[in-house]
Amino acid sequence: MRKINLWAWFWIFLGALYFFGPLYGALDFSLREKRGTLSLIAYQNVLKDPNFRNSFTYSTLIALATIVVGLLLIVSTAYWVHLRLPQARPIVDFITLLPFVVPAIVLVDGFIQIYSGPPFALTNTPQGTNVLLMFGYIVTAMPYMYRSIDAGLRAIDVRTLTEAGQSLGAGWITILFRVILPNIRTALLSGAFLTFAIVIGEYTFASLLARPAFGPYMVLLGQDRAYEPAALSIMSFALTWAAMMIIQLLGRGAPGQGQVAVAH
Amino acid sequence: MTHLSLSNVSKKFVETFAVKDFNLTVERGEFVSFLGPSGCGKTTTLRMIAGFEVPTTGKVILDDVDITDKAPNQRNVGMVFQAYALFPNMNVAQNIGFGMRIHREPESAIKERVAEMLALIHLEQKGNSYPSELSGGQQQRVALARALANRPQVLLLDEPLSALDAKIRVSLRAEIRSIQRKLGITAIYVTHDQEEALSISDRIVVMSQGQMEQVGTPFEIYNFPQTAFVASFVGTLNTADAEVVDPAKKLIKIDGVQLETAEELDGRQKGDKIKVAIRPERLNFVSVEKKANVLDCTIENITFLGSVVRVQVTVGGNRFNMDTFNNPFLELPKIDAKEQITCSREAVLVLKN
Amino acid sequence: MDFIYMAEATPADSQRKPLVRSFLPTNLLVWLGVLPFFLFAILFILMPSSSLVVGSFQDTQGHFTFKNIVDLFTPSILNSYLLSIQISLVTAIVGALFGFMLAYAAVLGGLPRWVRTAVMTLCGVAANFAGVPLAFAFVATLGRTGIFTASLRDAFHFDIYQHGFNLYSFGGLALTYLYFQFPLMVLIIAPSLDGLRREWREASENLGSSTWQYWRYIALPILLPSLLGTMILLFGNAFGAYATAYALTGGFLDLITIEVGNQISGNVLYNPNLGLALALGMIVVMSVSIGLYSWLQRRTARWLR
Repeated sequence: MRKINLWAWFWIFLGALYFFGPLYGALDFSLREKRGTLSLIAYQNVLKDPNFRNSFTYSTLIALATIVVGLLLIVSTAYWVHLRLPQARPIVDFITLLPFVVPAIVLVDGFIQIYSGPPFALTNTPQGTNVLLMFGYIVTAMPYMYRSIDAGLRAIDVRTLTEAGQSLGAGWITILFRVILPNIRTALLSGAFLTFAIVIGEYTFASLLARPAFGPYMVLLGQDRAYEPAALSIMSFALTWAAMMIIQLLGRGAPGQGQVAVAH
Repeated sequence: MTHLSLSNVSKKFVETFAVKDFNLTVERGEFVSFLGPSGCGKTTTLRMIAGFEVPTTGKVILDDVDITDKAPNQRNVGMVFQAYALFPNMNVAQNIGFGMRIHREPESAIKERVAEMLALIHLEQKGNSYPSELSGGQQQRVALARALANRPQVLLLDEPLSALDAKIRVSLRAEIRSIQRKLGITAIYVTHDQEEALSISDRIVVMSQGQMEQVGTPFEIYNFPQTAFVASFVGTLNTADAEVVDPAKKLIKIDGVQLETAEELDGRQKGDKIKVAIRPERLNFVSVEKKANVLDCTIENITFLGSVVRVQVTVGGNRFNMDTFNNPFLELPKIDAKEQITCSREAVLVLKN
Repeated sequence: MDFIYMAEATPADSQRKPLVRSFLPTNLLVWLGVLPFFLFAILFILMPSSSLVVGSFQDTQGHFTFKNIVDLFTPSILNSYLLSIQISLVTAIVGALFGFMLAYAAVLGGLPRWVRTAVMTLCGVAANFAGVPLAFAFVATLGRTGIFTASLRDAFHFDIYQHGFNLYSFGGLALTYLYFQFPLMVLIIAPSLDGLRREWREASENLGSSTWQYWRYIALPILLPSLLGTMILLFGNAFGAYATAYALTGGFLDLITIEVGNQISGNVLYNPNLGLALALGMIVVMSVSIGLYSWLQRRTARWLR
């Protein structure tokens, strides 16, 4: 027993080293903008930068749009599949997993090919490109969002709840908003925060569709500054951490809530 | 001839004793059941024989060899687990042959033994099936064959039937017993089901809170329970508080009504509080005039249990169950009717504390 | 790709007969409920993907040509594919091994409960902390002026860059990818380790097997399907990675994703149709690896029905 414990601690230690090493590196580095002393100058510079604020706001708005439209699309589909169309489940499952097979860089390539000319010339206007970007993000986040919501719906008995609602005289909209959604709110919120974590620093779609998002801003900053990128890294990490902690707190005690991770 | 013996075996988990002062000797070829509610220490005792738990104190001796501290894989003890525990990645034949393969026995011997075992459990056609393709009862038969293939010295069964449904449970327990008899192997069987223990065992060890309550044949355990716990756990039993009236004449009193018992009341004084028990099937309505052991009662409820009709009556402050065999000509009293019931003096059991 | 659902219990409601059993015309209305989803899938997954196929066989004027496909087989492009496949394989295998050991330690190592909780939480964060910020963190730590590099140089006069290490190379990128690869492995494999039932281990011990024999004949074969599933996921994860590689190496490491990005955004070489063919090639690589996975899966999981 003691031998096993020692080995186990060894691997845990190694894992912790790998996890905290780069974080420590980034933190230490981000505080060294001013030679010979530790300071928060790098963070101040980042926060003062109007491009930071603009790009971060832009990404936040896109993330919110992605969450709202994505949840609407996926919740209604997953609910309907659970309730009335169980035979559509395999095909829906399959489609939601496609983004794993088609990497973002490939998908964005296809987007540009299709949506830069008639009949759907979306990339000709900034608004159109924003919409395209949002749909790209919905595709990227879909496997995780769908999985989260599907698990939430599996954990409750959708059919019985719906039938109970109907027998009490409730209509579809009432049942969905007053009965089903409150019961899967954990799944909804988990999906939302995960989507936020995915979208906020996304680079591939944003850069190739040439939108002023947070991801491309970070890369640009990384090319001509030394300490600010490390500060951004720490700030991004804090954001990811917060999102994951919220998901975990939400998921505590909720059945069928697996942890998931994003593709890069 | 003693085959397996446990002497003064105790197992302490942190602060509490899971098993305390367990003493038992088992004869070769005997079928012994450990019976008790969950948490009574019966499974822990079994796991100490298998080697999965090491006793805190005491010795486990098998065929005159002290195996107390031997690792599980160094013992030759077969075990059947509660929920099948077949290896899902191996087919039936591979599961049964696994133990022999580990012991590097020749392939031809394994093949022969597997075929023999498949015939024993009547699953000759299923050698190439995977566990997931079998029913629960079939899986448990394979698990039994797997445990037996190595020719173990003792067969241990840890609630092997509790995951199965009622019908299969009854037929499979008969099959287990007949296989055990055919092979003449010593078996220890853990169960919380008293009917199962009564029907399958040579001897039963009733356990409660880590301690042995009573050891005896099913006949003894059922008819002469020695403690209140055994009485209440095995079968349905009416228990009542009573008072000794006359130790010499074996007279006692339940709620003011005097009863005669066949049991010795040596060492009891007049006025001592005792506990008595009466089996429901030993109670009858009074049909002919009787002087002794007559209790006035009120009918509370009548329940059909198939071959038996159970009548619930109140006698003073006690509630008794009375069982009668069902027949179409049975005349049953009305609920709330006042009746008289009686029992023979042998039916009045005096329990040790 | 069924590995995503492997760890999940069977749903309670799947046992019940579906309310709708056939595709009768009256039920067409029922299918309308999923119309928006299918429309979305067609517009934003299927059409873009199939446009790759069409565009790959066209020149810039829209005429049919095999030139793009033929160009895929030039040495430099083949090398890009190879490099991407190599880094994906290496990080998938190393990540899977390390992740497995870590998950094993956390789940079955007999450590206090909080260790497991902490490991799972940290892995959840690490698996999601990727892309540009991750690259920055590694640059700050192991870059030429990074904290670790600098302190080694200052304290021991040992310059890791003089001794073969380079963050902006294959090895450095692999090290960076592993930061999200092994936690992903931990997250996915931990439930499978939980699924190893204690009775299997006890039954095998009872039948005389050692710990090693238990792992060799029972635990590993049982885990193999999910191990393979996770490996393919890790492979795909690294194969499609663009942001991390681009932010770390600035596009100097010739990965296939970088190559596709260059062709689209037209920094140096601008040939969108070649870019489409490159992307098509990536889908082919992914499909082949998933095909390989399904084949292995069928072979290793005959018992999984």
